[in-house]
Amino acid sequence: MNIHIKKRLYVLLVSVVTFLIVGKFIYDSLVKSSIYFFSPTELRNITEIPNGKIRIGGMVKKGTLKKISNKYTFVITDYENEITVNYMGIKPNLFVEGQGAVVEGKLETRINLTASKILAKHDENYMPKEVADALKSTGDWKKKYGK
Amino acid sequence: MASNFANVLLIFSLFFSFLSNLFFFKKKFKISIYFFNISSIFILISFFSLIYFFCTSNFNISAVYENSHSLKPFFYKFAGTWGNHEGSLLLFVVIVALYGTFFSIIDQNDINFKSWVIFFQNNIFLIFLIFLITKSNPFDMIIPRPIEGLGLNPILQDPLLVIHPPFLYLGYVGFSLTLSLVLAGLIKDRLNNHWAKICWPWIMISWVFLTLGIGLGSIWAYYELGWGGYWFWDPVENASLMPWLASTALIHSLLVLKLKNNMRNWTALLAILTFSFSLLGTFLVRSGILNSVHAFANDPDRGVFILLIIFLITTSALVIQIIYSKKTIYYQTAFFSKESFLNINNLFLLFFLFVVLLGTIYPIILSIFGETISIGPDYYNKILAPFVFIFLVTMSFGPILKWTNNLGFKQFYSFITIFLVSLLFSFVIVVLSQKNDIILYLGLASSLILILNILFEIFKSLKVNNFFQYPRFLSHLGIGIFFLSVFLNSYYSETKDFEIDVGQIKKFNNFSINFKNQKIHNIENYLEMQTDFEIIDYEKKTFYLKPSMRRYLQPDQITSETSIKPTIFSNYYLAINFPDLNKTIVGARFYYNFFIHGIWFGLFLIILGGVLSVFKKRI
Repeated sequence: MNIHIKKRLYVLLVSVVTFLIVGKFIYDSLVKSSIYFFSPTELRNITEIPNGKIRIGGMVKKGTLKKISNKYTFVITDYENEITVNYMGIKPNLFVEGQGAVVEGKLETRINLTASKILAKHDENYMPKEVADALKSTGDWKKKYGK
Repeated sequence: MASNFANVLLIFSLFFSFLSNLFFFKKKFKISIYFFNISSIFILISFFSLIYFFCTSNFNISAVYENSHSLKPFFYKFAGTWGNHEGSLLLFVVIVALYGTFFSIIDQNDINFKSWVIFFQNNIFLIFLIFLITKSNPFDMIIPRPIEGLGLNPILQDPLLVIHPPFLYLGYVGFSLTLSLVLAGLIKDRLNNHWAKICWPWIMISWVFLTLGIGLGSIWAYYELGWGGYWFWDPVENASLMPWLASTALIHSLLVLKLKNNMRNWTALLAILTFSFSLLGTFLVRSGILNSVHAFANDPDRGVFILLIIFLITTSALVIQIIYSKKTIYYQTAFFSKESFLNINNLFLLFFLFVVLLGTIYPIILSIFGETISIGPDYYNKILAPFVFIFLVTMSFGPILKWTNNLGFKQFYSFITIFLVSLLFSFVIVVLSQKNDIILYLGLASSLILILNILFEIFKSLKVNNFFQYPRFLSHLGIGIFFLSVFLNSYYSETKDFEIDVGQIKKFNNFSINFKNQKIHNIENYLEMQTDFEIIDYEKKTFYLKPSMRRYLQPDQITSETSIKPTIFSNYYLAINFPDLNKTIVGARFYYNFFIHGIWFGLFLIILGGVLSVFKKRI
């Protein structure tokens, strides 16, 4: 075989192998750092409870937001199912009962989540996309929010 | 009336742009350039008239109605012109035209080549102008005239945000001229060292603006969002980082083309890539696919249209490259030569680009299959960190090498000495501060290696009065200081969230925070609650922080204004919010941000190096 072609083949082989290894490495950490989003209903229906960080979105149910010393508890609902959330920390400005919210944290049981973060909204009209999608899928989008 | 006037301007601009193409095909090059410039004057006037409509709150114009309000301060009425989808797209188109016009005035090349450049620039302009007129016309009329506008998102009412988008656009769009230069160069077979010299200032100007735009956005996020950080690996930030990485790779390969007349196809490919990523950035940010302050348009139609434009421009550029590319003359280079280290630099930058791209679009791809996920910052930090270490070391090593040939090991003495000194010094820092972390250690060591090497090079160049390397010295020194500060900041900063009432004192880690009092004022278009906090730090020094909350009335929205006290090595940073509106108790977020100045200073040096290289005497 021509020595030039041989050299090129080696280069090709080495780059393909490197590419595959690096690609695998990147993909693994991509999957590992993915934070999955669920609506309360989706969470009720899945077979295996995820044990990493997840996000849950829906409406903060009216009359459920309570504060005991430094800890908040409230219920996130998509009007079909509910999740009780415990949260230690500072409540964002626009986090109020009856409004949409997304929380990030770990599941304790299937209906109980300890949140480490409440995602802030930008303004009154804005609703997190995840919440909008979650509400649309349960058919509760319609009258209240227009579009 | 106003709407009609402005629309006529747009149509005129479109018309002259067509004429420019027509005369180009008839080989009347002078007239073609002339008509392009007329078209660009018309688009500029239409942009000025949009500014005028915003300043005078003319709610007949849809863009004004949707994004402005008569009670808004004048400054933000003016800046609101580009604080929305339609206005910002008009700005985009105007900048495409202006780059072309400035090039046609300044460039001294023969008319034939120049006219090809303007031809490509004109067609990029045309594509976006048609998109503007048909899909997102800022001058759509509303009848009857609404009494009041809907208002601008208060979070955008900030002086920095007034200049951040124009700078970013001057960067993104500047690469359209690079693309036109590359395509004209390919067709006229001019892609050589002479061409690289013509290109250089234009690419550097765009790169400087892009860097400045990213930096301003980052500073804005730091003090406005109240999250204490400067970079969040938000998809929107990534969208601007990707063209930056591609263009930085482009600059380095252009250097080889400029000085060694080599890497010509690769440079052309990078130029195409850079503009495609600029467009992708615009698409990601403006299409509404990503949720953020930037996503104005929620019309999926527009997103599809922008995607089509990206596809059209990228593929036609690639086709032109394939048809007109020439085989480069291959010459043997040693591994320890400037060329091969510039190659390594390109590989690293493209690898970073690939990682960022994957992290940004992976959630979008999954969302097509109905899964909603988000990628945490961990992904980027973990993957990029080890490569950044190697990158910084090769960055301090590469530039000392010679072109083409190996360097004898004698010349490496200074490098090896600095290498060992940095390792030792970082070790001492890590041990003394009792932060035994391998990432911190490697981060400090690798950035110190870069910084000290550059300082040594500067010292040597002062002796022989050789100044032509100064742009690189400054930019690379900036990178070193930037990463040093990033590592110091992420390991030595402290943060605390707590709730506090007027009169209370909170203590933690040697800091004591005392909530003195709060007041409510009525200012222009918002209500403001001002607070006074007394902070006593670990050295028993006392100072005051005055964070506030604002309630904007139109649209109804609450924002937090942070209060920052800079000291020599750090920032004390406090943001508050209302847990309950009717009580005096507030939620507070306190940050002790170590070495944050270093990050801004590093950015400043990077930009300064870029500015110098624009004006550097052509070699």
